Amino acid sequence: MRTKLAVVVAGMGVMLGAGPLRAHHAFSAEFDVTKPMTLKGTLVKWEMVNPHSWFHIDERKPDGTVVNWMIEGGSPNQLIRLGVTKNTLAIGTELLIEGYLAKDGTNKAVGRNFTFTDGRRLFLGGSAPGGDPSK
Amino acid sequence: MTAALLVPVLAQGPQAPSPTARVDKTTAPAKAWKLPRTPDGQPDLQGFWTNTTYTPLERPKNVTKEFYTREEAIEIAKKAAAVEGEETEPGTIADVHYDFTQFGLDRSQGGFALNLRTSLIVEPPDGRLPPLSAEGQKRAAERAAARKRMGAPTDAVQNQPLSVRCIIMDRAGPPMLPGAYNNNYQIVQTPGNVMILVEMIHHVRIIPLDGRPRLPSNVRQWMGSYTGRWEGDTLVVETTNFTDKTAFQGSSENMHLTERFTRVDETTVLYKFTVDDPATWTRPWSAELPMKRTIGPLFEHACHEANYGLANTLAGARAEEKKAAEAAAKK
Amino acid sequence: MRNQYGRLIVRTAAVALGLLLAVATVTSQAPAYRAPRTADGKPNFNGIWQALNTAYWDVEAHAAAPGPVLDLGASGAVPGGLGVVEGGPLPYKPEALAKKQQNYANRLKLDPEIKCYLPGVPRGVYMPFPFQIVQNQKYIMMIHEYAGAVRTIYMDDQTEAPADSWMGWSNGRWEGETLVVDTRGFNDQSWFDRAGNFHSDALHVVERFTARSPDTLTYEATIEDPSVFTRPWKMSMPLYRHVEKNAQLVEFRCVEFVEDLIYGHLRKQ
Repeated sequence: MRTKLAVVVAGMGVMLGAGPLRAHHAFSAEFDVTKPMTLKGTLVKWEMVNPHSWFHIDERKPDGTVVNWMIEGGSPNQLIRLGVTKNTLAIGTELLIEGYLAKDGTNKAVGRNFTFTDGRRLFLGGSAPGGDPSK
Repeated sequence: MTAALLVPVLAQGPQAPSPTARVDKTTAPAKAWKLPRTPDGQPDLQGFWTNTTYTPLERPKNVTKEFYTREEAIEIAKKAAAVEGEETEPGTIADVHYDFTQFGLDRSQGGFALNLRTSLIVEPPDGRLPPLSAEGQKRAAERAAARKRMGAPTDAVQNQPLSVRCIIMDRAGPPMLPGAYNNNYQIVQTPGNVMILVEMIHHVRIIPLDGRPRLPSNVRQWMGSYTGRWEGDTLVVETTNFTDKTAFQGSSENMHLTERFTRVDETTVLYKFTVDDPATWTRPWSAELPMKRTIGPLFEHACHEANYGLANTLAGARAEEKKAAEAAAKK
Repeated sequence: MRNQYGRLIVRTAAVALGLLLAVATVTSQAPAYRAPRTADGKPNFNGIWQALNTAYWDVEAHAAAPGPVLDLGASGAVPGGLGVVEGGPLPYKPEALAKKQQNYANRLKLDPEIKCYLPGVPRGVYMPFPFQIVQNQKYIMMIHEYAGAVRTIYMDDQTEAPADSWMGWSNGRWEGETLVVDTRGFNDQSWFDRAGNFHSDALHVVERFTARSPDTLTYEATIEDPSVFTRPWKMSMPLYRHVEKNAQLVEFRCVEFVEDLIYGHLRKQ
């Protein structure tokens, strides 16, 4: 039989009794809680991929230079079920992003909050959830 | 922009009556429902389903009853939904994440069945996992010690959770238990097979109904080896041949899993599973949860292919170590 | 004995007639084989299928050659193949041909198959792994043993690809005995084979699956990609049913096999 104990780290989701799989520990290992950031830029591409989607943003600096950013967002799958497509967010859309910088020193961040320049939130809702379980 | 105005229009509702659930006497009697069948006479389990739930696997410590009232269950779900939708405190670990609500990934933003049960576990009657056997305790200690020897989660890719590595998701199991989001399944039936496609990482089981034996005992698989049969109108799937890495709730590779799927109404499949693993628990245990009809499609969930975050996480740890080493060298 | 001899003559004649018919089928347009039907009256393609050729190494005709990993010797070498592309070499645009050659030169680093990435279309069909068709009226699923890749072919609700994906977005219809699958919505990440033949996200594939006998299908795929090729081109091949008892797909979850390859350089020293 096996002489070496094959060990893997169980996914957090397996411990369903411990509560929802919400605080994704991996994120605070990927991004720096001590480095919040805000960014205003134009959308180059929204990579609608899993496990997390990525927004490629061009930030135009006051001196005219352009900095390319990759901002991490959520899985697009539920949005797709609600009618969002690759054409929903036009290339060149201006976005305001609040988030945290990547720990590896590159131009990456997690997008805590995405808004349009007129203050409307990207995609869905404010702090209120969308469904009523009593219905 | 239309996306900002989207409102989920998904089937939500109370759990349908099951042989073990209490019937809600306050609702009017439903119209007589006829179990739909496939052309070859199987009960029809086909379509898109979600098993999203707020019900925990184990009964909370301060709860002794088996069922909440409908009002209590609604209150609990509403409270949990509000917590989910809440803004997190800036500068805290919890805030270092995209907002689930924005991407429709809160549980309340998709369909789910309102479950009156206080726990998913139905046997043993206290709604909690049975005690570990001696062998189970020993293995748990050995696994914990081995994990410690592996080092920090960011030391190497193999130290990260299976889901982060995109190897397997708990939604696939088996048994199939929901996570935070995208708890979606598609079932397609043919005369010889029942196919269950799990959205996350596109895990698939094609369950044969022809009475064949399972794989030889030396062939182990992450999702085991499974065979199915109909017992009346219930699909019974038996699975063995797990690897010792699957470790469902600490199980051994010799876990014998039995799942039961029963279509109970137009929008609900009742899913029940029994875990028999004497090498881990002193007795078998069972859990039950409804799968509720949801909207499709299941969009491709190619996890490994765009797993930039994993590379970023490891690179971030190496960058921090380098910074710390450089700072120490300067002293 | 007289009876046995008589039967032998009859049997020999039957075999001869069968051979004649078989030859006739190959050389002339014999009536199409009619596959058994599903409950909704469509050709039944349920089962486990696999291609038997070297297209997965190189879809074009090629001689045998050493493989990219010399330590594997003959085990890792490339077997020769007649090619599955109809009408000669692939019609690359000049700059695309240069990219193909670069892909080939760097295939150990660049081939998505080596990293256990999803195979795309049509590569998944002729990978050296079985795939299973699970077919009902509304959906035809193709489940590949390689990496557990899944294709959903929508037979009923036909919509456009909402976003790009590795396996594309497939709409299907029946034309008599033939399943016609029209797929768009690809990303530009997959390859056609191990030789670096590639496509852009403008890829459009139309496949035709037709039963040619109880245990074989004819598979044809027309590839259209105006960003890469000067014209559409076509490939074709037989697909063979796995007829062994209790045939099934076995897990090939290769992510675990490639983690050190992909992330090894980020390990703590």
